[in-house]
Amino acid sequence: MAMLSLLMQHVAQSGSDAAAAAAADAGSSPIFWFIVLGYFAVVLGFGSYFARFNKSTSDFFFGGRRFSWWLITMSIVATGVGSHSFLKYSGKSFEHGFSGSMAYMNDWFFMPLFIFGWLPIIYYMKVRSIPEYFERRFNAKVRTLATGVLLMYMLGYVGIGLLTMAKTLGPILGDSWSLMEIIWVVAVVAGVYITFGGQTAVIFTDLLQGFILLFAGVILFILGLNWFGGFDVFWNTLPTEFKLPLSNFNDDPGFNFVGIFWQDAVAGSIGFLFMNQGLVMRFLACRSVDHGRKAAAFNILFALPISAIAVSCAGWIGYGMMTQDPTLVSPDADPDTVFVIVTRILTTKAGFGFFVAAVTAALMSTVDTLINAISAVFVNDVYEPISKLRGIQHDDKHHLKVAMVASAGATVIGVGAAWSFSLFDNLYEAHGFFHSTFTPPLVACIFMGIFWRRFNTKGAMATFLAGTVMIILGRLLPHELIEPIAHGVPSIDPETGEALSAPFKYIGALYNLMACFGSGIVVTLLTNKENKDLEGLTMFSLAAARRMFKGGEPNDRVGFPQTVTYELDTSLPLGAIRMSKAAMVHLAAEQGDLAYICDKRKWLGGLRSAHAYFDGVHGFEEAGSMAKQPASEQSQRDSDVVLLAQDVYDHGHFLPGKLLVVEKEF
Amino acid sequence: MDEYPDFDRAWLPYIYLYGVGGIFFLGGMLLVFKSKACDWTRASHRRWAKVLIFGYLWYAGIHGALTYSALNV
Repeated sequence: MAMLSLLMQHVAQSGSDAAAAAAADAGSSPIFWFIVLGYFAVVLGFGSYFARFNKSTSDFFFGGRRFSWWLITMSIVATGVGSHSFLKYSGKSFEHGFSGSMAYMNDWFFMPLFIFGWLPIIYYMKVRSIPEYFERRFNAKVRTLATGVLLMYMLGYVGIGLLTMAKTLGPILGDSWSLMEIIWVVAVVAGVYITFGGQTAVIFTDLLQGFILLFAGVILFILGLNWFGGFDVFWNTLPTEFKLPLSNFNDDPGFNFVGIFWQDAVAGSIGFLFMNQGLVMRFLACRSVDHGRKAAAFNILFALPISAIAVSCAGWIGYGMMTQDPTLVSPDADPDTVFVIVTRILTTKAGFGFFVAAVTAALMSTVDTLINAISAVFVNDVYEPISKLRGIQHDDKHHLKVAMVASAGATVIGVGAAWSFSLFDNLYEAHGFFHSTFTPPLVACIFMGIFWRRFNTKGAMATFLAGTVMIILGRLLPHELIEPIAHGVPSIDPETGEALSAPFKYIGALYNLMACFGSGIVVTLLTNKENKDLEGLTMFSLAAARRMFKGGEPNDRVGFPQTVTYELDTSLPLGAIRMSKAAMVHLAAEQGDLAYICDKRKWLGGLRSAHAYFDGVHGFEEAGSMAKQPASEQSQRDSDVVLLAQDVYDHGHFLPGKLLVVEKEF
Repeated sequence: MDEYPDFDRAWLPYIYLYGVGGIFFLGGMLLVFKSKACDWTRASHRRWAKVLIFGYLWYAGIHGALTYSALNV
């Protein structure tokens, strides 16, 4: 794991004593502490503020399905830039050049299946968790299996995130803070705002953190270019091979293109888009499927390339510095320390504090998403099924309390995991082994479940069980099982000529995928077809999923959003709104259609908004005057009024006197 | 590190990425149309289909331009 553990020690070993001393010195600066503590205070403030927006589990886990695409995009950026990205990718880029960040730029190939397949399925079928999909698509046993695997994986990952953060801050804070003290402080901060703020707090803190991350990275790149005297000087300093965006095809067993393609562009992309519970919840927090599509597309097309620069540029700059002045950045520098060395060379103490806050943001935004996701899986896939088995019915308020307790519990267990990992390196390795062994079957199951109607429960179980056995066999017999498909990737160390203890690190993903998909396909083809109702659960029945979501036939006639004032009408049924007849004409809406009502101020990103359905018309308009206007004018008729049912009003958090915009969904 | 890379080093990964990756992408697009998940009669679906093709070309263009720049600029 690329961490800043023993940071100063590494730096000192690499001959950059000045940078080490300066980094340590920054920790004693009041400005540094002002920035870092200010950051923590803002994050805690977000939690307490957004607690008021949680009235149901839908609010707590999915933010009430109300947010605009740009808000979700930035929060995905923060989640996607993982807990150790700055350190890991700076190090990789220092060693391998621009190709060190290629994992950030190869996620588009499976977007057609995500945009038109998985995203509409989870949204329209209101799938609240990955395991829930497994039960609806297969059966309860597959769900139980998926729940256990996901929970163990995510809890372990929270521990790793907390430990990474503590080891990052440790060398800067000095000897007065123990590792566990730092872990507890960080866990309390993250745990408090997630426990009380839920998904809404996660989204808004991640919005802030996403901006901090990208801003810090881009600023560092600009400072670096300035250090060289301009882009041309920097570019011409670098050797040709360093500048290539893709690495060697198969020469280097430790870093080769073909292995990374299968591990990251294929397995990693499918895992990220289709199996990441935190990401699934983020897309379900979007106000519509279309906004989810925009968030995903904008993230991959534009945010990820910028993120690649942000997390990798310290490595590029560091390499350039090394070629110009090897005493400044040593050729023997530990790659994991390059980010800190370069940052400290280019910034002041206050600036360094800002960059530490950025790294902390990267760490915390990963942990917060995981904790919220664990809470969702616990409530949805453990607590509710057990309650059902015992014949106990709980209301949503009870589940909301359980969700909060689960968030706090996940944080505490995460601290325990972090403590365990800090004591036993083999536990960390065990988690890595667990992750790489059990997630490929999950990924293969979801993928085949969505896109192959014939794929059945026995096939899913085989994907899990036989796939896992095959993966373990691949570890034990790499030369027999993986080498034939390794695309010529060597299994010996090119420098020493000795056999590697764990060969085919990246290209092994191709074997894992073949093992899992192969097991599922063979067993499915050899067993009987299931007569299961799959309406809405595969991409072949999305029209049905849309009908089920609405509870009737969709209305896709094009209408125009209407700006209105609002009034509360407690006599309306739950979830209902009423508008004037003229407004309904402009909206192209009919009774029973779905509506989205939002505060007119777009910069709120949907924070004050709600979903409802059109219950009919009210009689407030003036004798048909509006109906005479042509629809194309879509005039801003502020005098028009929407009547809101009590629950719509409550969920919307609308403010008195503020205008609302009403849109017909379908 | 300062030797001029040969064709295999410079362009083979690019061809593999957009060749094999292109097969996944094209397979996905075909499945999307075959399953009618992308309904060509709906304007928003047509727009998204175009965005998907643009995304593929966008990344192929970025990687192509970066490789060309590394070799020639």
